[in-house]
Amino acid sequence: MLTGSKTTFKVRQMLPDIKERMLSQSGVNARSRDVFGLRCLPGECVLQRAVMVRKKLTAREGRGWLSGTLFCTHFRVAFVPQDSPKPDDNADPVLLGDHDVALASIDKVVVVGPNRTKLVTPNSSLKFTPEELVLYCRDMRVICFLFDRLTPDAQVIEITYTIAKTYQPLKPGSVLSFQNAALGSVEMKQFLSNRRRDTHMNWFESTSDWEQELERCGASGWRVSSVNDRFEMSTSLPRFIVVPQKVLDTELKKSFSHFNEGRIPRWCWRHPRGSDLLRTASFQNNIYHEKDDIRNLEMILFGCQSSLCVVVELGEELPSPADIQLAHSRLRALCLGDISTSVSVPDDKWLSTLESTHWLDYTRSCLRKASEVACLLRGGHLTVALQEAEDRDVSCVVSSLVQVMCDPHCRTQRGFQGLVQKEWVMAGHRFYSRINYHRDNDKEEAPVFLLFLDCVWQLWSQYPSRFQLTEDFLLALHDSVQLPLFSSFLANCQRERCKRSQNHGQSYTPVNGWRDGPHPDSSSDPCDPPLPPVWDWALQYSKHRQDRFTQPVPPSPPLQPLLNGNLNTNPDTHKLTDTIPGSVFLFSRGTFSCPANLLPWRSTSSGIYKKSHRRAPSSEGVPSLERLLKAWALTEIPQGLTSNSGSQGPLDPFEPLLPVLMGPCMGLWKECYLRGALHAQAFSHPISANHPHPVERLAAEVQALKDKLSQASAGPDVKPPIKTAERRLTDANLNQNTNNGTFLFPASRPHGTCVSRVTAPPTSTNHQHASSRGRPPTTAAPSRSSHRDNSSKHTFLFGHSSSTEARPDQRYHPAPNTAKLPKSNGSVAS
Amino acid sequence: MEKSGSIDSLGSKRSSSRQPSVDSLSSTSTSRSDRSAQAKPPSAMSSDSMSTSAEFSPELRVKPKTAVKVLRDSEKEEPQLLPNETVQDMAQDITYFCPFTGAVRGTVMVTNYRLFFKSTDREPAFVLDLPLGVVSRVEKIGGASSRGDVSYGLVCKDMRNLRFAHKQMEDTLRKSIFEVLIKFAFPVSNGLQIFAFEYGQVFPENGWKVYDAISEYKRQGIPNESWRITKINDHYELCDTYPSTLAVPVNIPDEELRRVAAFRAKGRIPVLSWIHPESQATVTRCSQPMVGVNGKRSKEDEKYLQAIMDANAQSHKLFIFDVRPCVNAAANKKNGGGYESEDAYQNAELVFLDIHNIHVMRESLRKLKDVVYPNIEDSHWLSNLESTHWLEHIKLILAGALRIADKVESGKTSVVVHCSDGWDRTAQLTSLAMLMLDSHYRTIRGFEVLLEKEWLSFGHRFQLRIGHGDKNHTDADRSPVFIQFVDCVWQLTRQFPAAFEFNEYFLVTILDHLYSCLFGTFLCNSEQQRLKEEIPKRTVSLWSYINSQLEDFTNPLYVNYSNHVLFPVVSLRHLELWVGYYIRWNPRMRPQEPVHQRYKELLAKRAELQKRVDELQREVTNRSASSSERAGSPTRSITPVQTFV
Repeated sequence: MLTGSKTTFKVRQMLPDIKERMLSQSGVNARSRDVFGLRCLPGECVLQRAVMVRKKLTAREGRGWLSGTLFCTHFRVAFVPQDSPKPDDNADPVLLGDHDVALASIDKVVVVGPNRTKLVTPNSSLKFTPEELVLYCRDMRVICFLFDRLTPDAQVIEITYTIAKTYQPLKPGSVLSFQNAALGSVEMKQFLSNRRRDTHMNWFESTSDWEQELERCGASGWRVSSVNDRFEMSTSLPRFIVVPQKVLDTELKKSFSHFNEGRIPRWCWRHPRGSDLLRTASFQNNIYHEKDDIRNLEMILFGCQSSLCVVVELGEELPSPADIQLAHSRLRALCLGDISTSVSVPDDKWLSTLESTHWLDYTRSCLRKASEVACLLRGGHLTVALQEAEDRDVSCVVSSLVQVMCDPHCRTQRGFQGLVQKEWVMAGHRFYSRINYHRDNDKEEAPVFLLFLDCVWQLWSQYPSRFQLTEDFLLALHDSVQLPLFSSFLANCQRERCKRSQNHGQSYTPVNGWRDGPHPDSSSDPCDPPLPPVWDWALQYSKHRQDRFTQPVPPSPPLQPLLNGNLNTNPDTHKLTDTIPGSVFLFSRGTFSCPANLLPWRSTSSGIYKKSHRRAPSSEGVPSLERLLKAWALTEIPQGLTSNSGSQGPLDPFEPLLPVLMGPCMGLWKECYLRGALHAQAFSHPISANHPHPVERLAAEVQALKDKLSQASAGPDVKPPIKTAERRLTDANLNQNTNNGTFLFPASRPHGTCVSRVTAPPTSTNHQHASSRGRPPTTAAPSRSSHRDNSSKHTFLFGHSSSTEARPDQRYHPAPNTAKLPKSNGSVAS
Repeated sequence: MEKSGSIDSLGSKRSSSRQPSVDSLSSTSTSRSDRSAQAKPPSAMSSDSMSTSAEFSPELRVKPKTAVKVLRDSEKEEPQLLPNETVQDMAQDITYFCPFTGAVRGTVMVTNYRLFFKSTDREPAFVLDLPLGVVSRVEKIGGASSRGDVSYGLVCKDMRNLRFAHKQMEDTLRKSIFEVLIKFAFPVSNGLQIFAFEYGQVFPENGWKVYDAISEYKRQGIPNESWRITKINDHYELCDTYPSTLAVPVNIPDEELRRVAAFRAKGRIPVLSWIHPESQATVTRCSQPMVGVNGKRSKEDEKYLQAIMDANAQSHKLFIFDVRPCVNAAANKKNGGGYESEDAYQNAELVFLDIHNIHVMRESLRKLKDVVYPNIEDSHWLSNLESTHWLEHIKLILAGALRIADKVESGKTSVVVHCSDGWDRTAQLTSLAMLMLDSHYRTIRGFEVLLEKEWLSFGHRFQLRIGHGDKNHTDADRSPVFIQFVDCVWQLTRQFPAAFEFNEYFLVTILDHLYSCLFGTFLCNSEQQRLKEEIPKRTVSLWSYINSQLEDFTNPLYVNYSNHVLFPVVSLRHLELWVGYYIRWNPRMRPQEPVHQRYKELLAKRAELQKRVDELQREVTNRSASSSERAGSPTRSITPVQTFV
């Protein structure tokens, strides 16, 4: 395709020049705008640019090519499409534009020349002029730029070198310089410090946040304890933990030593039927149990339920962090298909290779465990304690999956963000070590959080209409993990986070923040820039992309569960038969048992327990517990389905979403892992495979209609619309609106032109539409329609392209319902 | 299926009432009956039973208010017989061994069209309603066992096996009901008539009128200055497996066609399948040239291909796609066949597409059945699937069709497609390429035309490949060529969800009636045979049924982009197994959320809002007309709200 010059450059000779240029450029004062339309962050400067570059668009972006200018700064590789609107200098700085990629996300830089590809490292030299520049990103995107023959060869070479030199892969310390490049300027610091937090989500940082959650769940009998306020009880637990009301702080303090890392059983969530979900680390066995301790330990573990506690052991069946890491790196290698090494799994081995990564097995086992826990909780009035040795990895996955399955609130964007705050950020998942930003701790690296996102995606793809959040949101979160910019991920626990933010005044810190003086041994440099939380989406995503994070219409109500022989789908669960108060069962590998040493203080070795509690472990409760999990045999229809439920009263919205986990039903998250998809060619049909779920698109359309409706109904009554800008919708304007046929698109037209068009003939209708289609739609158009204007003009479901083959008159007609068939005895002759 | 709730391959079907479970091909009302009824407003139920052809949904007649009532109703329930369907035998105390739910006891009824099993020991009743046409083989398993049971296995063409047992007959003279079944399952072998000839249902639409060769060629702009329509095969004398109407290059007279026919296997000369409306590049199809080991040549054939190339002014090249693997094509020389040598055919480029023959495909599907029915091994699912090579074959076929479409669309070059006889792989490739190239074929009626034209009229040997009513299940001529094609179409619909007017249920219905022998559409091997058997006169067309209730088969997401060519991604990474067809019998596969229902809800909501917007708008117009001094022109109907991008 390219007819660019094939001249071979003596690159070595050029090297000093580049160095010089870089030096001189970085000395240049910061300009907020580059002449070619890049809006720089404060303090950011362009190191190199190349003009007339084309960017390959992915399926999600509408496919095809987009031409524009490519930039490399200290912070990112930016791409500004040719005719993009001029950036607004007064708007808040956005870290990344729609086509940008942060240097820290780049994993590998590869150039493609005539008949060859080459991996470019800071030290490599080029012996040919690249025709294509491919950036392999750590978030599994593959970004591809094509150099036109109009791109000056020197620019091509230089920008390639500049990128290769600046992105600094895998080096400890590069993270800090990256952060400084992005956020280090005085202006940025100022800007971030003044930034408001999203008040619509629960941050779980203060006592009141937790109390709000307790109230939301209707969890009585629990209280928020600040016994760990100074992280003295447990360094990895948050400052506030939720414990049974009846346990006093003084009693509580004695319990910490009985658990690994002091991570005592804490309340996470209450099922509306009254069961509580707890998380705990494993017991410290070699500790002498005093009588008082035992009483407290039992109270903490049983929480508010006196009768029954099920300890769910997570370690055995679920993948270890090392397993997850191995699976993910295999998956990554498989999906990215690295052109520089030409090592790509042949198509005919794709399926078995995918299987051998075990990634899908791991998602399945997490989902299965979470489904089982969800079914247990549904039984009502028991405590389920998730137990993992350290309680910081798969227990985060399972506890949050359970809540996504059971709690519709957690399937909204804000609810989900709160959930991640609660079960991951505050609970002390070691994001910092698991993501391994500094590349200095490979042993600890494990994308546990990404496994969780994949599990949520599986749920979403089986129940798309029960989620308010969308796949776009999951993708955004997935990609943000790789950016070492967010306080949410740049620490292993709240304590570290607090320490860090201590150095930066009040930016992003809770009102009643950490009060200790800064530790002298603090790992973070005092001049670190303040870090924003990941939930400040406006820093990364433009408004129209954020709009796609949620489905516009409310999720659909639950349906009667379908008995398909999978996990217990019976809505009418058996009530647990009375069990002896204080029974504890271990749930592991799908079965319940009550091993004698389940609770160390009850085991025979510590005699004290026996004296005061004469109960022996009993297996009487096992059958009733098993019934909670039992898959309904396909032969019998439970009473609940045949006779009473369903038509009477709405279904319980807390019925868990139980995924089908059979082999053919576990999907690969292609939208994420195959985004780079070098093997997927660009093709021309406007509606291609990889767009938002059709349900989402329909939903968007319904919402757009609703919006119009509200505008329309506001019209006749001459109610002042909410937006002040539309106040001008007076009677005269109204008429004219109607006559122009743009009634439905009131905002798509400048108001100034209204008056002059009062007498416009009705034929102008189409013109109006046509002209309003060209530019980005304002309020009337649905949010998710907004792909780049010049690339995919017709990606919206029922929309039509503005290109030549647009046929506004052809559109979807609902199937005529006149075509009814007569009964078999119908006498219609043919 | 097996179990409460009918097959529900799609969940798409609006159903229905809480009926007893039905395990039936013909359950037009497939659905998760258990709960969709409750999720649905009552109005849907009533309209349902009206709009659905009753023959296909005996259970639809039940419109119970409560489940309890259903059960009672269903106890009396017998299948509603089709016109001219007669009960042949009935038996009590039969055990059906369901691989998913275990043994069920019940009664069996055999008619000249179906097997109907209904449980007596389950609530709600378990029902199996199976057209006898899907039965491929009936075998008596073992002798009388110690318990005195006789067991029968039914191997079905639609990816399942059924097993029944009953007590040893006391009256040894009496035939087992399964012996009776054999007679009606294989009518052809037993000197009986296929049920399609007796089925006398009348539909408002006449599907036999869907396809008319002349008007289809006319739609494509044929005849034109380069192509003409010849009547040379009017009495099937030139080629008895070709249709009577053929489109050939203008400058080749009929006598020469005869000589070309002599050089092509079975007389299947290159004829036009499709012509590009702009570039005039064409897709032509034929059989292999009779080259033989000695490398025979034919002046006429060479001239003929030259004429095909000349008919397209845009390109001075012609691509010949031999869809076989090169080795197979060479091996055919032994039998007098072979392939065009590039020496003999100037300006022609020969490309092999490496698609395997019918035997390989049959074996691959057999393996697939082993992997998916009845049990699926979760931990090795993907490698097991890979070992069947089914998706790989699908990929090769799609890749071949893509190359053809690309040559015609982007290269503006005419192509000739052939395999050995030109009725299996050739039909797959030309029809898929046409589906990619021409959006007309992506409508429901257009797709029917495509099948009528490329498959039926050009002599895909449905009778032989499917073995309608024939007991010879080991026949090597049987092969799932057509299923493979429909699978490819399904893959396209997955990649372009809004490009097709029909939905998944449409494709499943076609495949179901490929076997059911209820309609005449897929009977016989060629147009000539169909005419001789008076199929259009004596049987009902499947399209009559489908076109009479289009709303069931319409894809709600369809947008008609008329000039778009589809270029699918054919990498295995982007192909999927068609779970909704191959694994539909497994009840555990059924998803909890019927996405189709959500589509319909949203569409209904959309229509409702649309209506309100229109109403308000009218109101505003009226108001302004009365209030303002000048009403202006009446509002030009604002096209139903389209959310423009």
